[in-house]
Amino acid sequence: MEFLIQGIGLLLAPKTFLVICVCSLYGLFVGSIPGLSATLAASLLIPFTFFMDPVPALVSIVTMSAMAIFAGDIPAALVRIPGTPSSAAYTQDSFALTQQGKAEMVLGVDVVFSAIGGLMGAVVLMCAAPLLAEVAMNFSSFEYFWLAALGLSATVMVSRGSQVKGALAMCLGLFLSTIGVDITLGYPRFTFESVELLNGISFIPAMIGVFGVSEVMRNVMQGEMHFAVTRVQAGKIFSGTGRLFIKYKWNVLRSGALGTFIGILPGAGADIAAWLAYAVSKRGSKEPEKYGNGSIEAIVDSGTANNACLAGDWVPALVFGIPGDSITAIVIGVLFMKGLRPGPMIFEKQPEIIYAVYFAFIVANLLMIPFGYLAVKTSSQMLRVPKKILIPGILMFAITGAFAINNDVFDIGVLGLMGIIGYFMEKNGYPVAPIVLGLVLGPILEQNFMTSMIKSDWDLTLFFMRPISALLGTITVIVWLFPFFATFLEKTKKKGNGQLQ
Amino acid sequence: MAKKDYIGGGIFTALGIFIWALTFQFPVLDDGHPGPSLFPRVLGTLFIFFGSMVILNGWRAGRAETPALPEEEVQLNYFNPFLVIILIAAFIAFARKLGFIITGATILIILMMKLRVSPLRSSIISVALICFIYLVFSKVLRVPLPHGLLGW
Repeated sequence: MEFLIQGIGLLLAPKTFLVICVCSLYGLFVGSIPGLSATLAASLLIPFTFFMDPVPALVSIVTMSAMAIFAGDIPAALVRIPGTPSSAAYTQDSFALTQQGKAEMVLGVDVVFSAIGGLMGAVVLMCAAPLLAEVAMNFSSFEYFWLAALGLSATVMVSRGSQVKGALAMCLGLFLSTIGVDITLGYPRFTFESVELLNGISFIPAMIGVFGVSEVMRNVMQGEMHFAVTRVQAGKIFSGTGRLFIKYKWNVLRSGALGTFIGILPGAGADIAAWLAYAVSKRGSKEPEKYGNGSIEAIVDSGTANNACLAGDWVPALVFGIPGDSITAIVIGVLFMKGLRPGPMIFEKQPEIIYAVYFAFIVANLLMIPFGYLAVKTSSQMLRVPKKILIPGILMFAITGAFAINNDVFDIGVLGLMGIIGYFMEKNGYPVAPIVLGLVLGPILEQNFMTSMIKSDWDLTLFFMRPISALLGTITVIVWLFPFFATFLEKTKKKGNGQLQ
Repeated sequence: MAKKDYIGGGIFTALGIFIWALTFQFPVLDDGHPGPSLFPRVLGTLFIFFGSMVILNGWRAGRAETPALPEEEVQLNYFNPFLVIILIAAFIAFARKLGFIITGATILIILMMKLRVSPLRSSIISVALICFIYLVFSKVLRVPLPHGLLGW
C-alpha cells in the first residue's frame, strides 16, 4: 500500500503530470500524421528521457504510445491512410463508414474503445506482472537464456514478409551487439582499433537511425501528400457510443483479452493484435458481409485489441527484460540507461516505479477521452501540416538527439549508418524491428549462455534439466521448427489435392 | 525480386564468412573452450545459412516469375534519400568548426529547398526551428552543443 501511494505520488508530481500532457499531445500529433509511426515517435523521445528521472521517462513513453496508437485511427477514418500500422486492419471499414456520413460515430468509437482496451490491458498488467515476477524470482541464467531466445524467435516468426529475412535482420542486431569488449575475457571484438567502438554500438543513436533516419529517407523520396479531409463535427462524436458498448460488450471483453495476450507474447505488437482481433471478430460476427465495407463491429474489436496490446507488451519487458515489441525494446534501453535492470528484482527493489507505470497506463487511457476529443477537433489542421517542413525538422531532432547522449559526433555517424541500413533493408523486404530487438537482447542472450556454459562445465544437456528451462527450451525449439513443419504440411496438402484432382 | 535477393543474400553470406574469418584471431578460454569467438561464430553460421536461403528463394522466385504488370506511375525522387545522408555527413564534418546553429540551419535550408519550399520560407522556418532546437537542448537539457563561429 505504501508503494502504491508512493507510485501515485510520483505520477501526480507537477513535473511528471506536465510530461504526461506534453507527451500526450506529441503522441496524438505523430500518430495522426500518415507515414510517421509510434516507434519513430518513441525513438525521437529517448534523447529527452535521457535527461529525465526514471518515472517521467517511462511515463512519457507510456502516454505517447497510447495516444499515438489511437491517433493512427484518425487519418484512417478521414483519408483512408492509417496513421500507424496498428490501424491498418480496419482502415477500409473506417473510411467506408466515413463515406456513408458516419465519420463522427467512427471517431467516437475509436476514442472510447481505444481507452477501454487500454484500461483492460492496464488491469491485466497490474495483475499478471507481479505474479509472473514471483515465478521469475526462481529463474537462473538457463531460463533467461531461453527467454531471450524465445523472444527473438517469436519476433522472427511474426515479422512482416519473409521469416528468413526477419531472421537475418535479427542476426544483424545480435552481431551489432557483439561489437566492443566481450564479457568473458574483456577482449575487444570487431572494433578495428577504434576507441569509440570499445564501448560498443550506442543503442540510442542506432535506434533513432533505424527508425527515424530511415523514415526520413523514405519520406523525402515521395512527393508531398495532399489530403481531401472530411470535416468532422467533434461535438457529436460521443453520441451513441454507450449504446454500442452495451451491444458489443462481449466483443470488447474478447478483443481486450486477445490484444493483451498478443502483447504479452514477446515480439508481437499492436498491429498483429488488431489484425487477429479483426479476423476473430469476422468469424464470430452475425454480419460478416459488412467487414471491409464499413463494419462498426470490426472497428470496436480491432480498436480495443490494439490499445489493450500496449500494456500487455510491458509484461515481458518489466518481468523478464524481454521486449514485447519495438517500443518496449526502447523502454528496456531507457531502463538500462537509468541504471535500472528490468526483471523480477525491479518489483522488489523499486516497486514505486512499477506502480507509477501501472497508473500511468490508467491515467493515459482516461486522458485519451478529452485529448482524443481535442485531436478529432483539430484533425483537419493536423493533416494539413506540410511534410516538406516536418521531415527536415525530424531529421534535425534526430541528429541533435543522437549527439546529446555522449556529446560525440561519432554517434551521429552511427545514426547515419543505421539509417542507411534500415532504409535499404526495408526497401528490400527486410523488417527492421528485429534489428533493434537483437541489439537489446544480444548481450542478455550471450551473457546468460556463457554463464550457463561455464556453470555447467560446457554440458548442453543442463539447458533441459531444470523444469522451467526445459519447458521454455522445448517451446523455443518448436518455434524454430514450426516453419519447416508448416512448409512440409502445405506441400503434403497440395500433393493430396493434386492426386484427388 | 530475384536480383535484389541475390544481392541481399550475397551481402549477408559474405558478412557471415567475414565474421568467421575475424574470429580466428580471438583468444580462447583457459580450459580451451571458445570464449569471445563462440557467439560471433554462431551468428556467422546463421548469416551464411539464412543468406544462402534468401539467394535460393530468389532463384526459385526468378524461375517462377511471371511478366510484371505495368506499375502505377508514382513520382519518386531517388536522389533525396542520398541527400539526407550527405547532409548528416556534412553535419559531422562542419558542426565543430561552424557551430550547431550555422550547420543545422544550412542543412535545414538545403533540405527544405530540395523539397520545394521557397527560399525565403525555408530560411525563416529553418532559422526559427534551429533556434528552438538549440534552446531545448542547450538551455533546457544542458547539452553542450558546439558553438563554432558564433562562439558564445
